[in-house]
Amino acid sequence: MEKVKIMIVDDSRVSRTMLANELNRTNFDVVAQAKDAAEAVRLYEETHPSLVTMDMNLPDADGIECSRRIYDIDPSAKIVMISAMKDASLITRGREVGISAFLQKPVNTNELIDTLMTLCQTEIGKVAVLRDSYAKAFVRALSQGIFSIAGLHSEVQLELDNRRFIDVSGVAVIIGLTGYPQGRAIFYMDKETLHKFSAIMLGKERVDDVAEEEASEAVEEAANIIIGRGISNINNVFKDREVRITPPGTISGTNIRIASPKLTTFRIEAVTPAGNIYMNIGFAEGE
Amino acid sequence: MDAKLVNPFVSAVESVLPQMGFQAPKRTALSMRQKNVAGLGVSVIVGFTKQLRGNVVYNMDEETAKFVASTMMMGMPVAEFDAMAQSAISEMSNMLTATAATNLAGMGLEVDISTPSLSIGEGFQLKISDGPYLTVAMDVGGHPLEIDIAVEKQ
Repeated sequence: MEKVKIMIVDDSRVSRTMLANELNRTNFDVVAQAKDAAEAVRLYEETHPSLVTMDMNLPDADGIECSRRIYDIDPSAKIVMISAMKDASLITRGREVGISAFLQKPVNTNELIDTLMTLCQTEIGKVAVLRDSYAKAFVRALSQGIFSIAGLHSEVQLELDNRRFIDVSGVAVIIGLTGYPQGRAIFYMDKETLHKFSAIMLGKERVDDVAEEEASEAVEEAANIIIGRGISNINNVFKDREVRITPPGTISGTNIRIASPKLTTFRIEAVTPAGNIYMNIGFAEGE
Repeated sequence: MDAKLVNPFVSAVESVLPQMGFQAPKRTALSMRQKNVAGLGVSVIVGFTKQLRGNVVYNMDEETAKFVASTMMMGMPVAEFDAMAQSAISEMSNMLTATAATNLAGMGLEVDISTPSLSIGEGFQLKISDGPYLTVAMDVGGHPLEIDIAVEKQ
């Protein structure tokens, strides 16, 4: 099973280390540790963990205020409050900002893990289904596609992508998915890879022989073929449903950020001799 | 592409935005364009399948995006185009496109739409079709919103 990303917010280094050691031994991956509210907010944005453990006492704001700032960034954040005192007023204030679980120090490890698992369970079930049934179809499509189009062998990896943005300096082809699951696929690469890959695809000896527009068109066609193949893989398995793809929208430029709020996204990376080729597959949450 | 297909999108803007607190949005210009759409700063692309195939782009500068997000969030000030504001723009694009899809169904065209993808950046180019497309300029509370429509009947 995939490890669950977690962030620990606690002003005590000892407490953070102890908790991190406990959690890392189980199904959790401690991706961030913050000592105060400002750091917590910054690291939350950077690492986008599935869960947060929140200490009540922080030097620059209390745990409830810190949680409120995190909910501002991500209303679906899952936060467990850990405090020395667990009184009614604290729980009421905590619930007002959206915290659903409260634990008292010292925290019993089993109790903590049970609480964390309960909080993230629905999320994990859904992600596992999307990953195994849908995202994996594109992994095969990508490696086979790169080989059939350009004769390149590639190492392909799939992972859940929690980043809020895809950063692109080069070209990105966006193809929408309609039906079920609804979503979108993005096929992208940097400028250097764009030139090398399109030159190979078009059978040109030199990278300079391919005009900018021609290079983008080649990548657009590659995206169409590969994403189309991924969708066929899905439709072949789920015969009662039909996913369709929209015509491509192709973005080129430098320092472009592509965001897809509210989608569950997977990143597929293909390492090829022409450079790295990426896909990001996003599905609308829920059915 | 058929110019009649612009109306469902314009009426979506005219009917949906006032419900979210915008002053009567108006269409200010309509033009036929070739080649790439120039990204104005914030561009949301949504794709269509079934009886219409193609893409629609809601294209705006960051000022317009912040104004739209702020209005959608009941006038809450939006100093930075942050995650919440992006989510608001994405949501607006979804609502406008879904309403346009309903309007198209009224014309006998059944369509499915994809989820919106929001691109942010300076000076990027966006190719949405191989042929000409239509650009509608709209005024939303004094802020310009461009809608680029490239859809073809199947």
